[in-house]
Amino acid sequence: MAKSKEELLEQLSDCVLEMEEEDVVDVATEYLEAGYPVLDGIMEGLVDGMNRASVLYDEEEYFVTDLLLCSDAMYAGLDILKPHLPADDSAQEKPKAIIGVVEGDTHDIGKNLVKIMMDTAGFEMYDLGRDVPLDAFVDKAVEVGATLICMSTLMTTTMGGMKTVIDMLKERGIRDRFKVMIGGSPISQKYCDEIGADCYTGNAVDAVKAAKKLAGIA
Amino acid sequence: MTEKERLGKVFRHEAVDRQPCICPGGMMNMITTDLMAQCGVTWPGAHTDAKMMADLALASYENGCFENVGVPFCMTVEAENLGAEVTMGSDVFEPHVTGYAMDSVLDWEKLEAKGIHSGRSQVVLDAIRILKEKDLDVPIIGNITGPISTASSVIEPTAFYKSLRRHKKEAHEFMTFVTEHLIDFARAQIEAGADVIAISDPSGTGEILGPKFFEEYAVKYLNMLLDGLQDEKLGTIVHICGQMKSVYGQIDMVHSDVLSFDSVVPMREARKNLPDRVLMGNVSTYTLEFGKPEKVAELTKTCAGNGSDIISPACGLGTRSPMKNIQAMLKTLKENEVAADA
Repeated sequence: MAKSKEELLEQLSDCVLEMEEEDVVDVATEYLEAGYPVLDGIMEGLVDGMNRASVLYDEEEYFVTDLLLCSDAMYAGLDILKPHLPADDSAQEKPKAIIGVVEGDTHDIGKNLVKIMMDTAGFEMYDLGRDVPLDAFVDKAVEVGATLICMSTLMTTTMGGMKTVIDMLKERGIRDRFKVMIGGSPISQKYCDEIGADCYTGNAVDAVKAAKKLAGIA
Repeated sequence: MTEKERLGKVFRHEAVDRQPCICPGGMMNMITTDLMAQCGVTWPGAHTDAKMMADLALASYENGCFENVGVPFCMTVEAENLGAEVTMGSDVFEPHVTGYAMDSVLDWEKLEAKGIHSGRSQVVLDAIRILKEKDLDVPIIGNITGPISTASSVIEPTAFYKSLRRHKKEAHEFMTFVTEHLIDFARAQIEAGADVIAISDPSGTGEILGPKFFEEYAVKYLNMLLDGLQDEKLGTIVHICGQMKSVYGQIDMVHSDVLSFDSVVPMREARKNLPDRVLMGNVSTYTLEFGKPEKVAELTKTCAGNGSDIISPACGLGTRSPMKNIQAMLKTLKENEVAADA
């Protein structure tokens, strides 16, 4: 007998939580073939699993390496389901966010994690990568009409670049158009206040919560 | 008491007149634009020229910043030797990796170490030799990028971290290969005249790895490296970034003489959890760059009072940190010593 929708949703969620990159493909295919709504499979299955993983991360049961593997499983499932998303479900306007590691630094593990979590939370992410020239943050944000600009660095020598980006926004008279979020090990709330950024968070889970608040989504 | 004697005593848990004030180099950068202007040697040239590197290292000591000299000024020498692409940065940005040697640990056997007597590895060894020939009273610190940080500079880091779980066998083989290279380099640094080896492993944090992998990968290869060094040295320092809450038990297994943490770790908490260890740290680099000398002095006293045995910046210095702020750490320690004698 075919499995119920609820059963398959739970399995999708579990596959993500348990980092089952291969099993998730089978379950997602089974879910599709049974004809259940694709959007529910994504939100209540795959994304639910990622959200449960981030709760475990918050509780220090899971660590960064675990979340990276959970996200691999989530994306493997998304690759199956997303092409079957009805047009009106996928056309939904999402808040846009620019993200990158500032010029002079290439440590991008934290940035990658925040990107994944924000993607999961419903943001359209523009990942500029690492060692990003500072004006690229501003140019890209203007080009795509972003809501958020997110910057990270792990090095004391490069954190000044965050202030430069904010100063560039001010110079162009467009500071008010964007919310600026910053993070990384040498960064602090004090530095955030000092350079006039909108938000500092200490880890990926808090970053997503803050991003949703800044973008005004639930 | 010379600077070298004082640091040696601290390493051996012996009584000293006051805490030494050092900044090793490597990831724990001690070079600022003020210092470069003062001695006329600048980045990025000093990363590839032994004489310039030695002169700049010496300037930090001669200007009353720190009671040591140390080279190099970045954490890319080892990764470059193992095949990563590196840019030398600028006068304010440190050298950093721009291209990884490979995307998967499964291919690690294709990596070719260029050998420590080539490229910038040789520059570092020559710089240490130049410093040694000056016969200084200050300790010479040779810096090594830690095993996880080197590994994740050679192989694309996200893929590398995932492989710690997915491809354990190859991950361990690769880590062994990397660590063997680091042992060669560190041993050559000691032969060239380094008194102390400081290992920084900012990418091998408890927050990224969790306690289990921290022990299985970070602690294991740090110890392989430390145990692989010759006995003829003053001592060893290991610096780890990030929160320690979840990994105090594991970090206590590390065989170094000294443990150093960044500023998210309260010195009082570290002292409580590691009562028998020599601890180093952790004056906020934020305050050192953006604060006033009075605030730096205050933090220095707090740090010393809360159980730090060796005063140092919590992380690498921002290159724009004013020299007055940096000098305030050592000045405070010296003044307090005078006050204690009176």
